[in-house]
Amino acid sequence: MRKPRTAILLVFVFTVIGLLIYSRIMAYSLAPTMKPADFSGLAIWEIPIAYLIDYFSHGWICLLFAFVVAGLVYEFVPKEAITKYMSSSKAAGYALALGMAPFLTVCSCTMVPLFGGILFAGAGIGPAITFLLMAPAANILSILLTGELILWELAVVRIVASIVVALTAGVIISKTPWGKAIEKEHQQTVPVGQASIEIVKSPLDERLWASLKFAAYLAKQILPFFLLGLVAVSYVQAYLPEDIVGTYLTGVTGVLIASVIGGPLYTPTLVEIVLGKGMYELGMSKGALLSWLMGQPYDVANALAVSRIARWKVVLTYMIIAWAGSVVFGLLYGILSGSL
Amino acid sequence: MKEVKVEVLGPEPSCMRCQTAKKVVEKVAEKLKQTGIVVLVEKVNIMSKDVVGKYGVLVSPAIAVNGVVKFMGRVPSEAEVEKTIREVAEREA
Repeated sequence: MRKPRTAILLVFVFTVIGLLIYSRIMAYSLAPTMKPADFSGLAIWEIPIAYLIDYFSHGWICLLFAFVVAGLVYEFVPKEAITKYMSSSKAAGYALALGMAPFLTVCSCTMVPLFGGILFAGAGIGPAITFLLMAPAANILSILLTGELILWELAVVRIVASIVVALTAGVIISKTPWGKAIEKEHQQTVPVGQASIEIVKSPLDERLWASLKFAAYLAKQILPFFLLGLVAVSYVQAYLPEDIVGTYLTGVTGVLIASVIGGPLYTPTLVEIVLGKGMYELGMSKGALLSWLMGQPYDVANALAVSRIARWKVVLTYMIIAWAGSVVFGLLYGILSGSL
Repeated sequence: MKEVKVEVLGPEPSCMRCQTAKKVVEKVAEKLKQTGIVVLVEKVNIMSKDVVGKYGVLVSPAIAVNGVVKFMGRVPSEAEVEKTIREVAEREA
């Protein structure tokens, strides 16, 4: 029973990966191809329908790939090895926080608990904050979609910028008096337990099946919002005049505005990527687009959950650093890429 | 009559996948009752100091059997959970 099941699951996984590679080789666009001009002449109710059809006729490969890969990575990344060394030293704490955030946080429900765990386990407030900022900014789903839908160059810049900002925020907060106070408060008086973890080795077919189930769970959580986001994007594309985007979403002002609206609008649903793409096509500069995408880590829902553990002073500090980081990198990338 | 303690570790308030994990464990517990293994299921806050002190940093949902973490960051199938609990029950009998 095990072998045929494993084979079927493996064939499915490789087909999905193969589809993406094939579309790459054939230079087939996975992003929607409708341009603002295509919307003229359509009735109000026809706009989202036309856009959704356009989107899914291209985008289904990309979405399927992103969810399947996220599920696989989450299932197969060696979690126990990562969490084991979390409290061994400061440097290891920072390195692991940066390294594991993209893989462990596709599901938002693991983020705040891990933040608490890292803090309580003795790695300190620095790595905990680094993890918290890195998590939404560079999780594997949003990086895959940023790359596939917008530009791979932007996806790479987004990772690099997130690493720098997350590290800076972690180090700075660990040096502030209020950061140190939190660290002291949560210091573990007893040594952190490790001996009591013996992860069960599951057969391959169980693990593949579990990863696909997780992929389906993620899709169920995210797609409804993603669809609503697409509807919004279709109206943005159809009605937002290009000269408004050109005036307000380019240059230094563009970066500032994008960084400010990026935060509150953040929903952990990848909507920001499609919305960003829509505005980019209407003439938003690359610099502003980066600020827009990076504006997410200081979203309100997460800040509230974290403030219960780390108090508002720490939350405020990391929000300010994250915002400043999104502005600095937006400007820098805008200047360097010649699109400010 | 054997007794096995199973802790489902997740955040408070519980997340969706932790609830699913707990349901899986509860179903297995119901099934094992007929075979003479009593499974005590408990939901534990993954962020409490006791848990971190005992197990270290965990990825939720995690499942511990008799004080040993057996599953982490995933919802295992009923068959897997049943097999693991049976093994522990036999070893410690």
